[in-house]
Amino acid sequence: MKKTSPGFGLGLRPEHYLDFLEGPQQVDWLELISENYMVPGGKPLAMLDAIRADHPVALHGVSLSIGSTDPLDRDYLTRLKQLAHRVEPLWVSDHLCWTGVAGKNSHDLLPLPYSEEALRLVVAHVRQVQDLLGERILLENVSSYLEFTDSVMPEWAFLGAVAEEADCLLLLDVNNVYVSSVNHGFDPREYLRHLPGERIQQIHLAGHSDHGEYIVDTHDHPVCDAVWALYREACIQFGEVAAMIERDDHIPLLAELIAELDQARGIAAEAALTARAVA
Amino acid sequence: MSTREVSGLAQVQGDFQHFLLNAASTIAEQIRPGGRIPVDKRLGIYHNAYRVRLVDTLCDTFEKTWTYLGDTVFEQCASAYVETHPPIHRSLRDYGAALPDWLAARFPDDPDIAELAQMDWRLRQAFDGADAEALSLEALAGLTAGDWETLGFRFVPTLALCRLCFNTPAIWGALDQGGPPPTAQRLPAPAWLCVWRRGWQPHFRTLDETEFTALSDLYAGARFAEVCQTLSETRTDAPTLIAHYLRTWLTDGLISGMAAVAGTDVQTRISHPR
Repeated sequence: MKKTSPGFGLGLRPEHYLDFLEGPQQVDWLELISENYMVPGGKPLAMLDAIRADHPVALHGVSLSIGSTDPLDRDYLTRLKQLAHRVEPLWVSDHLCWTGVAGKNSHDLLPLPYSEEALRLVVAHVRQVQDLLGERILLENVSSYLEFTDSVMPEWAFLGAVAEEADCLLLLDVNNVYVSSVNHGFDPREYLRHLPGERIQQIHLAGHSDHGEYIVDTHDHPVCDAVWALYREACIQFGEVAAMIERDDHIPLLAELIAELDQARGIAAEAALTARAVA
Repeated sequence: MSTREVSGLAQVQGDFQHFLLNAASTIAEQIRPGGRIPVDKRLGIYHNAYRVRLVDTLCDTFEKTWTYLGDTVFEQCASAYVETHPPIHRSLRDYGAALPDWLAARFPDDPDIAELAQMDWRLRQAFDGADAEALSLEALAGLTAGDWETLGFRFVPTLALCRLCFNTPAIWGALDQGGPPPTAQRLPAPAWLCVWRRGWQPHFRTLDETEFTALSDLYAGARFAEVCQTLSETRTDAPTLIAHYLRTWLTDGLISGMAAVAGTDVQTRISHPR
């Protein structure tokens, strides 16, 4: 069901366009924010075409709003399909969330109540999207700061049920699991233990901001030790999965991110040995 | 069953969005209490993130206007704009289209502010607007006298023309260089800001009324011969002037192609690229 892992990637950001144009980097693949390239033309698309020639890419969207009670946006999906046709991505992903209703868009990844009604709606929407794109999509768990009284199951159960019933794949954001576990007081290892590993196609790693009593998923810091430890658990449990680091603010030099990616490579290699020894 | 249970998910999402948009909402009742963070603080994280993201977007899109007004005033304006302009597009690229008009209403005695914002907006739109190959000067070399009679031009899709009443391009240019902007001064005669993209770089230039009329007539579909005729009615130097304009538009990369145009009256189909 899953595609073979392309290895270790980074999110492509304009700050690093020149690095990738200058020559090969120690980055196996790149993830693009789909909406940044769903534009009429100009430099973003020219850079994308040039960089795509030498690098596999995955498309990662933030506006699909798969869990909104509004109908799916056909125009958005058409443009997403056009972009997918242009870049022939490894896969297309977005978030298990909603971003707005009644034609408005908060541009935030808002949490869903994990109810039977929400499950039916998300499954129906995922099927529509997959029918249109002609392939399985990946859904990512988001960071959240609140839970709804309407929820009747934990997030991991909802995520697993969506994946099974809609026959889609998962993008496991290890940092988001950690952020939510701190904000809601659950055991992040328990979360991982309940996920369907055969459907996890990709892993996200990122940093966050610590506000004392809660933490916020800001992608403006290096990956913290607790998230590395959880990533190691994920590697042991799920085996070889494509992993990448997201950085969206305070973007450092590419070399610094590659060094951070090497840390992921090291942890994954060590975890593979551990898993083999245990087996 | 309560009303909320009947309408379920739609009710939760509607209430949540009302809360984000500062409308009456009962969302707090639908958030699980308990834990070490109070419900209002949990909701506040989303309320704050919504505003911060949109204000940051406006700061980025209207960078020179932000510098011109200073952090405090611009962020007050951006925050007020966000309260009355919830995003309706899937991309943040499209957020802020109405800010220039909003600033014009907010600062009726300082219309230079809205004009600078309009320039920021047009340049940002040109940055990732549709691509087009520019027509070269040499492409006109083989045209016959008959060709020139019916010749019209197509323009690059990023071309936009906006009315200028102030020395806004000089203000924008000074801010772009990191220097202090000149004092805003009303222009002695109306002019037009021409924005387009050449290669990957947005460009701008100021046009006087005569050049604007010729360019916008051609853009609207007039034949080049018609534009020459119109110009000759008011200018004795019309042939020299139109030759100069055409050469400039071609070398600047404003023109994307030639078209044979039927001889209808330009005034009946004029629409400026605004």
